[in-house]
Amino acid sequence: MARRASSRRGSARPKRRKLSTLVSSLRDTAASAVRRAARVAKGKSPRPPTAAPAQPGRSSKPPLPPLTRTSVVKKPARRPSFRASRPPASAKPAARTAGSTPAQRRSVVRKPSRGPTVQRAVKKFAERRRQPRVAGTPSARPKGTRASRFAAPGTLVPAEAPRRQAAATPPMTGGGAPLAADPEPSFSIPTGYGDDHIVLMVKDPWWIYAYWEIQQGTERAARAQLLPHEAADLKTVLRVYDVTGVDFPAQSAHRSVDIALSGLAMSWYIETNAPGRSFIVEIGLLANNGRFILLARSNRVTAPRFGPSEIIDEAWMTTDEQFWQLFGAAAGFGAGSSRSAALNLSPHQLLSSGWSSSGLYGLQKPPTVRGFWCRVNTDVVIHGATEPKSTVTVQGHPVEVRKDGTFGLRLTLPEGSQTVGIEVTSPDGRRSQAMMPVFAFAWSGALAPQAQAQERA
Amino acid sequence: MDRAGFLSIVLHTHLPFVRHPEHEHFLEERWLYEAMTETYIPLLERFQRLCDDRVPFRITMSFTPPLLAMLADELLQERYLRHLDNLIELTQKEIERTRWLPPFHRLALFYHHRFTTARRLFVDVYHRNLVQGFRELADRGVLEPIASGATHGFLPLLDVHQPSVRAQVAVGVQAFEQAFGRKPVGFWLPECGYHPGHDAVLRDHGIRYFLTDAHGVLFGSPRPKYGVFAPAISPSGVAAFARDLESSKSVWSAEEGYPGDFEYREFYRDVGYDLDYEYVRPHLNGDGSRLNTGVKYYRITGKTDDKQPYDPDRALNKAAEHAGNFLFNRQQQIQHLRGVMDRAPLIVSPYDAELFGHWWFEGPDWLEFLIRKVHHDQQTFSLVAPSDYFRHYPTNQVLQPSMSTWGSGGYNDVWVNGTNDWIYRHLHKMAERMTETANAFPQADPLRRRVLNQMAREVLLAQSSDWAFILKTQTHTAYAYRRIHDHLARFSALHDASRQSDINELWLSGIESRDNLFPSIDYRVYAT
Repeated sequence: MARRASSRRGSARPKRRKLSTLVSSLRDTAASAVRRAARVAKGKSPRPPTAAPAQPGRSSKPPLPPLTRTSVVKKPARRPSFRASRPPASAKPAARTAGSTPAQRRSVVRKPSRGPTVQRAVKKFAERRRQPRVAGTPSARPKGTRASRFAAPGTLVPAEAPRRQAAATPPMTGGGAPLAADPEPSFSIPTGYGDDHIVLMVKDPWWIYAYWEIQQGTERAARAQLLPHEAADLKTVLRVYDVTGVDFPAQSAHRSVDIALSGLAMSWYIETNAPGRSFIVEIGLLANNGRFILLARSNRVTAPRFGPSEIIDEAWMTTDEQFWQLFGAAAGFGAGSSRSAALNLSPHQLLSSGWSSSGLYGLQKPPTVRGFWCRVNTDVVIHGATEPKSTVTVQGHPVEVRKDGTFGLRLTLPEGSQTVGIEVTSPDGRRSQAMMPVFAFAWSGALAPQAQAQERA
Repeated sequence: MDRAGFLSIVLHTHLPFVRHPEHEHFLEERWLYEAMTETYIPLLERFQRLCDDRVPFRITMSFTPPLLAMLADELLQERYLRHLDNLIELTQKEIERTRWLPPFHRLALFYHHRFTTARRLFVDVYHRNLVQGFRELADRGVLEPIASGATHGFLPLLDVHQPSVRAQVAVGVQAFEQAFGRKPVGFWLPECGYHPGHDAVLRDHGIRYFLTDAHGVLFGSPRPKYGVFAPAISPSGVAAFARDLESSKSVWSAEEGYPGDFEYREFYRDVGYDLDYEYVRPHLNGDGSRLNTGVKYYRITGKTDDKQPYDPDRALNKAAEHAGNFLFNRQQQIQHLRGVMDRAPLIVSPYDAELFGHWWFEGPDWLEFLIRKVHHDQQTFSLVAPSDYFRHYPTNQVLQPSMSTWGSGGYNDVWVNGTNDWIYRHLHKMAERMTETANAFPQADPLRRRVLNQMAREVLLAQSSDWAFILKTQTHTAYAYRRIHDHLARFSALHDASRQSDINELWLSGIESRDNLFPSIDYRVYAT
């Protein structure tokens, strides 16, 4: 008969131990639990989440780095325009830069031609004008294999594609029978598709998001249109047009704002701060004399209105008071909320909720009061063998006897001392029995951080 | 009209397509098994019981095609049975182990009973296909099933490429028709993501209504006379039913909501983590890492890690009490609204179905209590499906709903932010290429048609809103990344193949057998 005590942290103690030894070992567990808690407080996961991504052995592939190539380069881009009142959901990516994978870093150095900052662009550009460009330095150039299979044959990633080529490169799978293998292992998500375009999406009533891709050849051709003196202070800019109700570019926009880009950006969050308005964004080169050379023009988007409409349908007449009464009810203030409370509502009160999960992976564990906690349990494992077809009972409950006469049972014991009785009866009715006293630990508890600190002191 | 108002409960069921035949055991497939054991089967069982007891009710549920496909898939049905048998074995061991610990022993018996019941229902009653169960409820008229996007693509951010929006709707509706043998009257916009103009796409596919978050209608123009308490008719003639936030909050909210009650079962304590490793090892996934098995012995207890044993009876009482509270609050709300409005208000309460049972273990019981109480205990309101409303009030206000989602912040922030915005240049490009290719082959030969259809499947699978969401929540990031990567890879290879003269059929079959949903898809849905 073996006896086991186990704590949740998995230190199995096979032999009987003196109480003091166990207590000291519990203290060790406690200390490590505290360290764990500290790690948790810093935001690291104490144990892998239920379904840790890419557990070794689960998949035949090595875990993929959670890389995104655009997020690294675009961080600095959004800085200037954050509004203090709306803590942006986008603070995170900045932190990610630190942990960027080699692949990300490579994607940064891969586009040297545009220069790292706008301020330095002037000098850089002057240098560039002097020495005819060779499309990137050798070190910045990836080893030729990065062209994606997703891209059409002949289309290379933007940094290294001087111009879309007509000649077809062979498919990446190589060899004569290219499409017999699984496509996934050899594939890497491309950085671009050889396009010249800019795409606009709505994030919320105040922000829109643009991503783009401009080939170097296109940019070069645009630069070639400039006179030498215009090129001195050349910037790449996003020109944001308010085109609400306007057929742009046939008609002119209500207003426009230029955003100077940092050379590495491939996407940008634009604070328009204009709910209900429509926008088109152009990416282009801006010369020092104000001349703008268009590289690409986006689709049109309309940011949603924020707040109730000013338009009232006569057939469905409603007064302000009625509307706000219903609005208050809709915002979850319940029946009987006072009229003045309803009238003081802000549309924001509707929105911060996000009362939705997404399926089975969505919710985060709610916080608990952190402190030391521990659990101790004792299991007994009873196992043995007898004549086949005998019956065995433990504590009066029958235990299954296997065909070969062996049997086994695992019991978790309550705290304290108890007596385990086992009885074996042979097929012809002969009986053998034994009673055994056992002593078990069983305890669980948690201490608030303060109490625990006192105890340690 | 004898009632002062109506309540419409809408449960949205969705799981991403997580079928992985290439691995014997696959962690994310457990999402499906857990949802089946904890949500779908318990809901079916309770709805069936209500029917048997002749309690009249109406409930609305949306079903996404990936879930319907997985529920009908033989491989996954087989694997679910294996999963369930393994759980039953675990509870048998637990019954023995806990014999001296009465509260736990009782729970071991409780789970053993639940799992064996689930098995019996799954095998004997539903013949392994739960879709049949829902279909029967629909045929009996208690359930109004509605359709959703083909792969739960987040439509506001696919709007740049209109064929993508159309394909998500068309393929979603088609998959629904095949599963339920009827045309859907309603449509669940994934994440309640409404973009002006998409109502016209829904109309083109025979849809009569969709659901939005509250501000979708409240911020609509002209101003809605009845707020969210009556549907709004969008310019295309499709109705928008907006969510009521008061009833949502009582179930969703982490602080004030019912599911956080201390008597309810604690989700985050599971024998998969609690017990001796060697003992539970046979019940973990292939790689042996600890995970949630579904056998959970503790109640929430409080904001402490020192959890107390769960007591199913007390929890059940609490669920009944909460159902009574919900009923009372709706009565109050409806009576109040009836005084303000010149017609009977409709309260629309949409929830993720997986909240019930999986996250909120007692949720299905709460729902059953609520349905019984609505029938037996009051006369103020009745349960309806959204489409029933038009029988009472056929004329409704026309307005242009506002762009909105039910995600945090109310707009698109959850699906486009620094963690996931990089995916859109690929999703858009993929769909663009799909349309180019579909236009290039209006009449493809049979083998090429298979390639093109498979391309369409890969586009749809990559568009699943789940990937962007997971990248945002940072929970299963590597998996989401891998899925986007793999669908891009397959699409890219198929795209190459589509333009070649000899297509390797064996290779194609390999891809088809993995991403095997939408058997009757027609790639020309992407043509312009």
